[in-house]
Amino acid sequence: MGGPEEPEDDWNLVESAKRGDRNSFGTLVRRHQDRMFNLAYQITHNREDALDIAQEAFAKAFASLQHFKGEASFATWLHRIVVNLAIDCLRRKQRGGGTSYDDTRGDPEGQKAVLFAPDDPAGALEAKQVRALLARGIGELPPAQRAVLVLREIEGMTYEEIARTVGCTLGTVMSRLFYARRRLRRALAGHRVDLR
Amino acid sequence: MTHWFHKMAGRTRRLANYTTGEMAETEQGRMRALLAACPACRREVEAYRLLFATLQTSPRVTLTPGEAAAFWPSVEGRIQQGATPATPPTRPSLRERFWDHPRLSLVSAAAAIVLVLGLTLGPMVGRGPGTHGSDGAEVISVEAGENTSVMLFQAPDSSLKVIWVFEAPSS
Repeated sequence: MGGPEEPEDDWNLVESAKRGDRNSFGTLVRRHQDRMFNLAYQITHNREDALDIAQEAFAKAFASLQHFKGEASFATWLHRIVVNLAIDCLRRKQRGGGTSYDDTRGDPEGQKAVLFAPDDPAGALEAKQVRALLARGIGELPPAQRAVLVLREIEGMTYEEIARTVGCTLGTVMSRLFYARRRLRRALAGHRVDLR
Repeated sequence: MTHWFHKMAGRTRRLANYTTGEMAETEQGRMRALLAACPACRREVEAYRLLFATLQTSPRVTLTPGEAAAFWPSVEGRIQQGATPATPPTRPSLRERFWDHPRLSLVSAAAAIVLVLGLTLGPMVGRGPGTHGSDGAEVISVEAGENTSVMLFQAPDSSLKVIWVFEAPSS
């Protein structure tokens, strides 16, 4: 029987991996690797760090598999490990002398102007400027605020899901999100939306 | 002219919640009327819309074919080297903890300063002839934040100080 929210395939694979079937865990890895890599990248905005974090998360998940009881889905459980590792990575870098949020290297095909029509070059330029401003603003957020912002605004999680993933109260999630949004709003100060 | 709304506590939160659709329906009508009358508020909502739209359309990154092919073997290598179980993240720095609850942090710092001043300066203030002590505890300081209030009391005829912290339950 699977966990309450577990797609049957994931749950069966987890049970097989618990019994020592390494190939089952490999299937789980291939199934979730892109999603976890993207999550790690959205928080760190560093491709090398994101790759390292995602791989380490799966390795730690394997080491912790006996403790996974299925209260949440395997993907949700992985989210938590990835987020914690990403926060640790950012804190280490901050102690070492600051983090940057490079918004130019993540997408091999280059930045896409997804906010404006393809035949709107002015809009495309504006989108690029806005992304650059937000990238700088996100880079200045404390790690925990950055993680909550990514989980809410990019991953689309509910407040309850974020609280379970990050391991904090609902009030703390809302507080972090409020201050993160406000700081990003200030990062946009001076953009044309403020000059009308 | 400063619109009355700009003086309201929680203005930023309300505008952001309205933009994301998290505002209760009962409040939305009032907000729409407000926006019709306040150009500054409309600019603020537009800025939040741009902010959220940009974040929500952030390009998703994927592993290159080479990275994808090497991913599981790399994970296997880490497992064989003895990966440690998952643990909670490291303790945040003081600066980061401040930004989790900045108002509470400022109130706590203010209360601590008042307490230290009270303990160090209090004994230096003597009672002159004819003065009378109070019958009950004296309130020295009160600070109120968004969800928390801090009150500093002094016990009668004593240098003992008591700090009470009232915290509203989180919703």
